[in-house]
Amino acid sequence: MRAVLRVLAPLLGIAVAVAGVLVVIEVVAAWVLPGTASGLLVPWPDWGDTLASLSWNQNPVPGIAIGVGVIGLLLIIVGLAARRSEVRLQAPRADMTVTTSPRVLARLVGTRVRDSDDVLSASVTASTRRVAVTALAWHDAPPDLREVIVSRVQVLLDELPLRRRPRVAVSVRKQEGVQ
Amino acid sequence: MSVDLTKPDPATPDPNVSRSRRADARLRRRSRSAVARSAAGDRWLLVLIGLVLLAAGIGVTLLSYGVFGTARAGRPLLDPIIVDTVAADPVLWRAIAIAGGIVLAVLGLAWVARAVRPEPRPDVVLDGGPDTTILVSSGAAAEAVAAPAGSLAGVGRARARLVGSTAAPALRVTLWLTDDADVRAVLRRLDGEVLATARSALDLPALPVAVRLEVERPHPAPRVA
Repeated sequence: MRAVLRVLAPLLGIAVAVAGVLVVIEVVAAWVLPGTASGLLVPWPDWGDTLASLSWNQNPVPGIAIGVGVIGLLLIIVGLAARRSEVRLQAPRADMTVTTSPRVLARLVGTRVRDSDDVLSASVTASTRRVAVTALAWHDAPPDLREVIVSRVQVLLDELPLRRRPRVAVSVRKQEGVQ
Repeated sequence: MSVDLTKPDPATPDPNVSRSRRADARLRRRSRSAVARSAAGDRWLLVLIGLVLLAAGIGVTLLSYGVFGTARAGRPLLDPIIVDTVAADPVLWRAIAIAGGIVLAVLGLAWVARAVRPEPRPDVVLDGGPDTTILVSSGAAAEAVAAPAGSLAGVGRARARLVGSTAAPALRVTLWLTDDADVRAVLRRLDGEVLATARSALDLPALPVAVRLEVERPHPAPRVA
């Protein structure tokens, strides 16, 4: 979403600036050249005629209004979702800020979980509050594998100086169809 | 000799202590804002425009479906009342339109300039004496931190850059850690060895630092031996 914001922000700025320049040009042109029937750059007299002949309950007014509302909602979602996602760590000094991304935390947890011989593969999602591990185990994996994985993840979280310790959720599936 | 044993009044805190706390809070804020380039202004402008469009869309939709009365829904979009109002005092409305257009153009251009402007990289100015000024370029100062940081145990590579302003610079360091890195030890050595040296060399005892930790990607094993 942050990349979308980086692209959208200058485009919207250009759109606002162009709209302002067009308003100034057209108003000044209409003022200085009162006899012209059409606008200098924008056919605003035609637009005015169309708007004067169209009422609020006629098509396509409701459709356009719904479209404008949806675009507004999308802009709000992009603006709210484009915040930095980061995991804060304890720093050795007060004037130092240490951060990492949830992706890095997930990768560290995934590497630690996959180090276990009983784990065939693992997928990890991580955030500041929660680390969720879904592990695929060999068919002959020990029954307490889930507890072993939880313990491994807890040890890793102990090693990392996280400012807020996330909750750990582990689910284990055994590979099927292998005897 | 007399010794003043009166306790300080808790209602009137020591001005030196409160000044020091304010300075610490400022340094913390600067280190927080050095983490990455801020996009807060762009985000809130986007949300504001979105709210305006959403409100307009909902309002016009309700009006179209007759929620505010069927008579109102049947009126033209360019209402004759508005046309008459504008025609009654055209000079005033033209002036308002021109002023509004100028405001929109200036705001839009300012937004574009702010969005595409590269992040400043301040140089560090050292006092070399009464008639000497030493300028350390931003790149040189950053390299002086990145090179030793990249050679720390547990760090695969490092990148550094100075951010902020010349009057209030801050350092942004990105460390790519190896799989066997001890994060606490890396941070301790970065602060005690690399950053302490940088603060001393750049004559910046108060240099806020933002450290971003990444993980070095493992090199793929060759598929053909």
